[in-house]
Amino acid sequence: MLEIVVNIVFLLLSLALVLSFVRLARGPTLPDRVVALELLVSITVGFIAVHTIASERANFLDVAVVLSLTAFLAAIGFARFLERGGHRDD
Amino acid sequence: MIELFWEVVTSALLLIGGLLMLVAALGLVRMPDLLTRMHATTKAGALGGGLTVLAVAVHFGEAEIVARALAVMTFIVLTAPVAAHAIGRASYFVGVPLWEGTVKDELKGRYDAQNHQLHSSDEAAESARRPDARPPEH
Amino acid sequence: MTVFLWNLLLAIAWVGVSGNFSEVNFAFGFLVGYGILAVASRQIEGGARYVRKVPKVLKFIAFFAYDLIKANMVVAYDVMTPRHLMQPGVMAIELDASEDMEITILGNLISVTPGTLSLDVSSDRKVLYVHAMYMGDEERLRADIKALEARVLEIMR
Repeated sequence: MLEIVVNIVFLLLSLALVLSFVRLARGPTLPDRVVALELLVSITVGFIAVHTIASERANFLDVAVVLSLTAFLAAIGFARFLERGGHRDD
Repeated sequence: MIELFWEVVTSALLLIGGLLMLVAALGLVRMPDLLTRMHATTKAGALGGGLTVLAVAVHFGEAEIVARALAVMTFIVLTAPVAAHAIGRASYFVGVPLWEGTVKDELKGRYDAQNHQLHSSDEAAESARRPDARPPEH
Repeated sequence: MTVFLWNLLLAIAWVGVSGNFSEVNFAFGFLVGYGILAVASRQIEGGARYVRKVPKVLKFIAFFAYDLIKANMVVAYDVMTPRHLMQPGVMAIELDASEDMEITILGNLISVTPGTLSLDVSSDRKVLYVHAMYMGDEERLRADIKALEARVLEIMR
């Protein structure tokens, strides 16, 4: 049963990845793209989790730890940059 | 029997997590303005990521993997609202437009563009804008 | 806080004494430790306060988890159905909380609850600006947030 579920979840996550990439490409403002990037990271962490279960190897979990931390730093950095007067229409 | 139980729990967590992330991505595409998009992504996205990682912890049940999975979960769940606040504030500050269906905006005009102060009422914002105004105390 | 550490130490002692290193046994040890602290609370500085607070925290977690699931459903429904039912808006909420820590926790809890997103706190820390997706029943939304604030203050003070 778990194998079927893993495949279904891979499918769901791939769809989510494509959708958030649409928002990343379309914008229209920089904050929109930042939000899309953040969701991309969440989905990537989800992918890593599902892959860990599918392959029974936990090596990739460390990547998930680092990703979840750096995504936060990136969001804060972008917010600072915006408030200090960066361009906002790209 | 016990193994089957844990397998069901893992599958359920994975499915709910995946569905939540799909909902988040759908909301990201479908919602009309930035703040409503953030409603969809920050909660459903973070919760979905947290649940899939929790599924890993349940599936393996070994101390070192559980510890790492819990670390990822805590990071995601703790940082999501803070990042949402930072981006929401910054986007409002630079004037990203709100959706035309927005019914009310009590924050409008209360930011001070010069010194990044946020006033608590329209009167305070007005008096700070006057030329003879004293700088706000911290 | 120190009493909480005592409680953790008692739980670890329980796990060590019973020789069973599982999570369930740790939770049981925590419960035993809590029982011991409840009996001995008058002897310890801050003990009575801690003993009173733990059930409140647990109740708060249960209440908040329920809130989280319910609100997530509402937002998910709105995302998936073709017409937008939402009436978003920004509202100012007068704060009773005054400490930075209290405002931080309240703001984050509001952000985590689907349907509301805390944008910013005014520089004089009197007003919290919240973006809400469903402003149709504004009075009720305000009352909900004030109720959440009251619960947070009850735990923090």
